[in-house]
Amino acid sequence: MSYLETISIEDTANVAKIEPKGRSRFITLSINGERHEITVKPRKMLIEVIRDTVGLTGTKGSCSSGTCGACTVLLSGRPVLSCITLAVECDGKEIRTVEDLAENGKLSALQEAFLDQGAVQCGFCTPGMLMSATALLERHSKPSLAQIKKGLEGNLCRCTGYNAIVDAVLQVSGQGVTPVMK
Amino acid sequence: MILYDFDYERPNTLQEATALLRQTEGKARLLAGGTDLLPNMRVQVLKPTMLISLGAITPRPPQAELDGSIRIDALTRLADLENSEFVRREIPMLAESAHVVGGNQIRQVATLGGNLCQETRCLYLNQEHDYQFTAPCYKRNGDCCYPFPGNKPGTCWSVYMSDTAPALIALSANVDIIGEAGVRTVPAETLFTGNSLEPLWLARTEIISSVVVPPIPTGFGWGYHKSTIRGGLEFAMANIAVALWLENDRKTCAGARIVVGAVSEGPLRALATEKSLVGQVLNADLLWKAADDASNEINPLPHHGFTRNYLNENIRVYLRRTLITAFERAYGMDA
Amino acid sequence: MSELKFVGKSFKRKDGPDKVTGRALYSEDVKLPGILIGRVLRSPHPHARIVSIDTSRAKALPGVKAVITVEDTKGIKHGFVETPRYPADQEVLARGKVVHVGEELAAVAAVDSFTAQQALELINVEYEILPGVFDPEKAMDPEAPKIHPSHPKIADKEPFSNIGGKTECGWGDVEKGFAESDYVREDRYESQLRTHGYLEPHVTLAHWESDKLNIWTSSMGTFVKRAKLAKTLDLPYSSVRIHKTYVGGTFGGKIDLYSHEYCAARLSILTGRPVRIVASREEIFSAYRHSQPLIVEVKTGVKNDGTIVAQQLRVINNAGAYRGSGVVVVFLAWGFTMAPYRCPNLKYEGYSVYTNYTVRAPQRGHGCPKVRFAIESQLDMIAEALGIDPITIRLRNARQPSEDLPNGDNVHNGNLPECIRVAAEKSDLLKKYGEARKSPQTGHIRRGIGIGVSAYFGGSLIYPNSSGVMVKMNDDGSAIVLTGAIDVGQGAETVICQIVAEELAIGMEDVKIISSDTDTTPQDIGAWVSGMTYITGNAARQAAGNARAKLIQVASEQMNAPVEDLWVEDKAVFNRQNPQQRMTYDQVFAASVATHRGDTIIGEGFWRTMRDVPTHPSLATTKGRWTENYAFSAQVAEVEVDIETGEAKLVKALTVHDCGFPVNPALVKGQVDGQVSMAMGHAFMEEVITRNGYTLNPNWLDYRMPTIHNMAASEDADVITEEYRVGEPYRTKEVGEGLVSGILAAMANAVYDATGVRLYTTPFSPERILSGLKKLEPSKTTGVRDQQSPEVL
Repeated sequence: MSYLETISIEDTANVAKIEPKGRSRFITLSINGERHEITVKPRKMLIEVIRDTVGLTGTKGSCSSGTCGACTVLLSGRPVLSCITLAVECDGKEIRTVEDLAENGKLSALQEAFLDQGAVQCGFCTPGMLMSATALLERHSKPSLAQIKKGLEGNLCRCTGYNAIVDAVLQVSGQGVTPVMK
Repeated sequence: MILYDFDYERPNTLQEATALLRQTEGKARLLAGGTDLLPNMRVQVLKPTMLISLGAITPRPPQAELDGSIRIDALTRLADLENSEFVRREIPMLAESAHVVGGNQIRQVATLGGNLCQETRCLYLNQEHDYQFTAPCYKRNGDCCYPFPGNKPGTCWSVYMSDTAPALIALSANVDIIGEAGVRTVPAETLFTGNSLEPLWLARTEIISSVVVPPIPTGFGWGYHKSTIRGGLEFAMANIAVALWLENDRKTCAGARIVVGAVSEGPLRALATEKSLVGQVLNADLLWKAADDASNEINPLPHHGFTRNYLNENIRVYLRRTLITAFERAYGMDA
Repeated sequence: MSELKFVGKSFKRKDGPDKVTGRALYSEDVKLPGILIGRVLRSPHPHARIVSIDTSRAKALPGVKAVITVEDTKGIKHGFVETPRYPADQEVLARGKVVHVGEELAAVAAVDSFTAQQALELINVEYEILPGVFDPEKAMDPEAPKIHPSHPKIADKEPFSNIGGKTECGWGDVEKGFAESDYVREDRYESQLRTHGYLEPHVTLAHWESDKLNIWTSSMGTFVKRAKLAKTLDLPYSSVRIHKTYVGGTFGGKIDLYSHEYCAARLSILTGRPVRIVASREEIFSAYRHSQPLIVEVKTGVKNDGTIVAQQLRVINNAGAYRGSGVVVVFLAWGFTMAPYRCPNLKYEGYSVYTNYTVRAPQRGHGCPKVRFAIESQLDMIAEALGIDPITIRLRNARQPSEDLPNGDNVHNGNLPECIRVAAEKSDLLKKYGEARKSPQTGHIRRGIGIGVSAYFGGSLIYPNSSGVMVKMNDDGSAIVLTGAIDVGQGAETVICQIVAEELAIGMEDVKIISSDTDTTPQDIGAWVSGMTYITGNAARQAAGNARAKLIQVASEQMNAPVEDLWVEDKAVFNRQNPQQRMTYDQVFAASVATHRGDTIIGEGFWRTMRDVPTHPSLATTKGRWTENYAFSAQVAEVEVDIETGEAKLVKALTVHDCGFPVNPALVKGQVDGQVSMAMGHAFMEEVITRNGYTLNPNWLDYRMPTIHNMAASEDADVITEEYRVGEPYRTKEVGEGLVSGILAAMANAVYDATGVRLYTTPFSPERILSGLKKLEPSKTTGVRDQQSPEVL
């Protein structure tokens, strides 16, 4: 998964493959509003392109099998798991990652709320959690507790017990929760 | 990361997709949401040489047919199903069964057709490493069964865990299948072979194109339950779909369908129990007895650390509750 | 002294903005030109002799840059414990035989993952299969397959096989104690195998460049990593640099040396190129270190009023295939037994037993939850038998402030009785307890309440034993803190900055921190012995105080005022006798440079636990002091149980803890919530399912960590027993791992309260609870009717 691999090594040096198939394809992705034209093997996952080819390492890989949510990005506005999404499937689509949430260096209200509530500890689930929460809030401006749980159920967090994360979503949606940290 | 290469095609129609399936002689797989297929390819339970993406095909929205049945494009994403006002109003059991699949991100891309065509699961299947097991099991084209070493040779007892399939069967849904010879329509419940090695009666060149739920009878009520340990982001311990419909007196059972999934090679119907309910004036005792009968009729496979004994108990209790809920809905108590 | 401005306040995390924007660099985010991909070949067998390893075909594969086996190492062993009694016992790659599934045999470095994978498949290993043993009690049988010889000191006296180590101690006379008791009971408790559940996988990037090994690795203590890597590579410490990275959760699972870290380093040395190894989630589940399942047999004798007279414990640790931290757990289990309650007669023995499982690591609580689950469950049973309530029996036995412990430690201001009283009051436990089991209940949901208490140590002596901190003043009056402390999510960087800001009277934004880089920051104990706020925090306090003293000294000379009259506020030194007379820090700094031979004002601070005690206690005999730092807690759980299905959930948790005082209350609350959640996973859902040493559920679907659906209401209350005064040492206490323990016991007791089912084995699965209910009242679970039904029914 090094950047060497994603540039060219795999297509040239790697002649001893068992099954020399999988013709690379040319695709265009819009990532955080920037256009990227790249050539990828069909087997390449979206997370590999985002992290290794484009170099946006905010999106985290944890399970490689779609079971934890750490790699969540928005694909055409939907929260999806970039570790089980083929990059070729995203041709022509818009992708948003955690790097797109702050504007001109200013944290978004959601990011601020996460910090206000202590919803971040080790921080590894945070990018995915923020993207799921972003999608949730775009759908429901004042989500109920049940909607928050369904919206964030695909994101594991081992540090917080989720309480502070729920509070952060309640805070940012103006549902009577005030910051606990200053 | 998938550590082998495969080809990729992106046809514009299902007909083109069937043609591609034919050309590749069954070595290709269809890619819809990919949430089941791609993790299985990563651990090499599946190793297709080509993926035929259905991503270029836009599903038609769910719609009512002239006869009152509802047609749902197989490429409909589960999130769109659970969030569709129309589906929630007309066939809430299907919306509910879609609502409890996996986690939110899974449902955003996973499709109804894909959910039906998912692979069976077993603790011993989903763990290919470079070192874990020396010999593949029957499901991996090998020669043994790790959880049930004494069973009949060639038998795989992995379980089929779709959450939507039991609901569709309880709703008497049909599926349209596109193949070389055109479209065929079969009841959803006849899709299942009872053989975990090849759980669906689908030729390698066939594609489920849509699901058709027939008109809901009057006096209809439903109950659905998915048993899990943690309430989400999880496959079922067992899932239960119950449909009851009453005569005009709102007491007498006109029909019943009781389906239990995730505990066998395919969803199981409690046919004898269903039959015994028809014509009966329903009451709590009867429904409780029906739940006991149905759970005795079902013979769950122990799976994922759950014993047969406990699965029986869990199914028995939730059958009671879903039957009562279905009856209450049929009676109009929840209105 | 003026009111505190920073300590005791909930400041936002210093690392927060980096973490919410994706800027925070974790080990896998570090990129270097020319990276090679490393992979590790692992044993497919739990126990086998290695007849031969042939790497020639792998080496010949184009794109493969290096392949190593144990023959390419210096054969230097390492171990979690390295003492004369328990010397290093593990090679970095297997030699001669493999003793667990997934044991590391060889490693490759190649141009990409594809090639690395192919190379692994081209390595030929010939095995001769040996019988394996997985149950620790079976492994102790003299006839059992021998994984390693029993420890020589035990082999001399006892017939058991596979004993990696033993802790044995006691005081008083337990037999006499039991004879004098009014009530005696004996129970046995068992626990499951659990994993840590850090979201960030193990990742190591190694780069050998200009005779220097640069390492970025998922860690809980960079100085420990440096020591072990340098040792096994036979390099001076100065040739190994562990760089700072953010760490995506540890919970005990990222301390000590892991084979892949050595392999990445060795492969980089051999190839001259950076090598990265990322462990897959399946590897972590199947081959990496988990916690330690304990069998705890406990016999307790009490007087009629509940006073504990004697207690006897036998603990058996299924410790995996090398010594790991197994011998530490059987030592700690004694500590977690003796700390909360007085016990005049005690006999303890704990065996660490080799089995053909993966090596074990510390895990949040390091044995404590399993011990407290046993003792607290049994205590409730005793109380019930004697007709005493759960609060009274605990208050009867709880240690009072200033008590001496049997090992010579003192609990100082630690106040367990107050924790218990506050917990009882806040939860209204005595009113609620027993309700579900009294009058006939309707419906199928039963609610129950239970309590558990615990005690935990902080900052005990283990390498590197102490922390140093440097505070560099800048000429504008702001400060840079250099600390080896590693922030694994607990908020160490934030807490250290608060202390420095307080001591220097500068703003939080004036303090910048550089941390956990072994070349640029002072040595630090690391985030794994529950003492960072106490030890590194006190070192930071001292360093800032040292800088402050220098500032005051220079100001005193410039202002012609005695040092005693000067103090600091708002980035300035002022004269208390004449507050108008003041110098800003930038003025003082300039004066220092001008008049003190260019002194730029750098403060130093150092701290360690028990400065009067040379070393840690004996793991074998428990003799020797342990710490001066005991935290106590009482936790209450309220659960709901579906008595028809056995499904149970934690509804509400109350944690009352004596952490001394919270430096940052919101960060403390974060630790509490996280521990409640982890304990809930322990209680109700998590288990690494294994068969013959193979892991059957190496993923997060089938290993069930709590999701947001399982979130329980979590409340906490501090029992304040210490205070912070600027310029003086303080005593904060452990709050990051001990709180997984009392709450686990509380959940067990609450399930009992709800249902009458007493559970002896974790997890409390629906099946276990239901089978308990069926034993109690066979007819009850098949005939409860609670649904609202139409009139026709």
